[in-house]
Amino acid sequence: MKAHTTLYNRSPKAALVLFCLLGCLNFLNAQDSTGVKEAATEAPAAPKKSKPVPNTFENIWLLDNQSVMVPTKGSFQLDFMHRFGTIDGGYQSLFGLFGGINIRIGADYVPREDLMVGLSLTEYNLTWEGYVKYAGLKQTKDDKIPVSVTYYGNMAVDTRSDPTGGLYPHGSDRLMFFNQIIIARKFGDRFSIQVAPSLTHVNVVQGYYGGDTTADGKSVLGKEMKHDHFAIAFSGKVKLNNTLNLLLNYDQPITKHLTNNPNPNLSAGLEINTTGHTFQVLVGNYRYITPSRNNYYNNNDYKDGQWLIGFNMTRLWNW
Amino acid sequence: MKTKTLSVLLLMTTFIVVVSFTFSKQQPKPWNVPEKNAKMANPIKSDAASINTGKASWAKNCASCHGKMGKGDGSKAAKLTTHPGDFSAAATQGQSDGALYYKISEGRDDMPAFKKKISDEDEIWSLVNYIRTFKK
Repeated sequence: MKAHTTLYNRSPKAALVLFCLLGCLNFLNAQDSTGVKEAATEAPAAPKKSKPVPNTFENIWLLDNQSVMVPTKGSFQLDFMHRFGTIDGGYQSLFGLFGGINIRIGADYVPREDLMVGLSLTEYNLTWEGYVKYAGLKQTKDDKIPVSVTYYGNMAVDTRSDPTGGLYPHGSDRLMFFNQIIIARKFGDRFSIQVAPSLTHVNVVQGYYGGDTTADGKSVLGKEMKHDHFAIAFSGKVKLNNTLNLLLNYDQPITKHLTNNPNPNLSAGLEINTTGHTFQVLVGNYRYITPSRNNYYNNNDYKDGQWLIGFNMTRLWNW
Repeated sequence: MKTKTLSVLLLMTTFIVVVSFTFSKQQPKPWNVPEKNAKMANPIKSDAASINTGKASWAKNCASCHGKMGKGDGSKAAKLTTHPGDFSAAATQGQSDGALYYKISEGRDDMPAFKKKISDEDEIWSLVNYIRTFKK
């Protein structure tokens, strides 16, 4: 019989990874800028400035993932997201619409060009998220830069009540981190794809005593899951007409854990756009909305018919 | 009794007419474009690709007020203080590309400043090219 306990890892590993990734993006950007400056000194005529490809995606959200996009400087956006229960409950839960609803309310702001910051609250475990998004590279029309690259970093805090301290003995046990590099390319007017590898770090995991002992007779504490979890997301957009897009998304876990391995997520949705509003309605497997929790804990399996309906609604203002 | 009814009807009609005129759409006031902006040449050739870009942008950003064909009959037009105008008419088509670009970019009153919403200048020039297709 396993005796469960929890294991802690409060090392600053996630923060280190975040700064390394940001550093890489800045380096790449600096390389590109330097190239332009050198060309300018060699040729007296001002070189034609490469223009970024617009509208690779229409919104910062791409169903369950962030897209490569960062709105223009000064933009403020409100996000309203719903994930209903799984449809396998049938009529008794009206195919999930009457049960297990998860809601997220978020606010995003772009204080400087290419940098977005945000704050959100998700109903599941009263999870607050703080996040940053930085568009390091942008695909250009002349193909000098063939892809857009954006970094997304997210810190989530579980703020549900724990009066006895049984759930979370330490404050840092409530934290989860999510880092993602988003690489995207727009092909022509109608088609865009995106690949996004990610690293989720969970500060606390379940442990167990499996019967193994050390040389001096002490029980060895094992970990059910690793603290770090790698995954990769593939997403795409097909423009159906001037205001309607088809969105597709697949998330594949990479890290293998001893037990409780998360399931992949498959989702598809339709996106309707106006100047200020975007509405995405989708069918998929992820229910947590918080990216670290989606990638680390997803137990809905599309092979078992555990699909759910959801929607993302956003309102964008520009100042 | 009959006279009283007629008087009430007359009073109501007068009230409706007065209110209608008071709250009717204002006609557009003059919109002066700086000369250097009005003289700006359109750097985007009006080809099929540009028209398609402009058409997509129009559907997303403009059609809800200005209407699908620029007649000023979009679903939100009734809520506007100023009538959005008929873009197929000479009043719009007679303006330079630079003037149209300036007005789309800078906005005024009900009209948002689209330079804050459309980051790609070429897309705004393509919108100008698309507006030219409304010409009667």
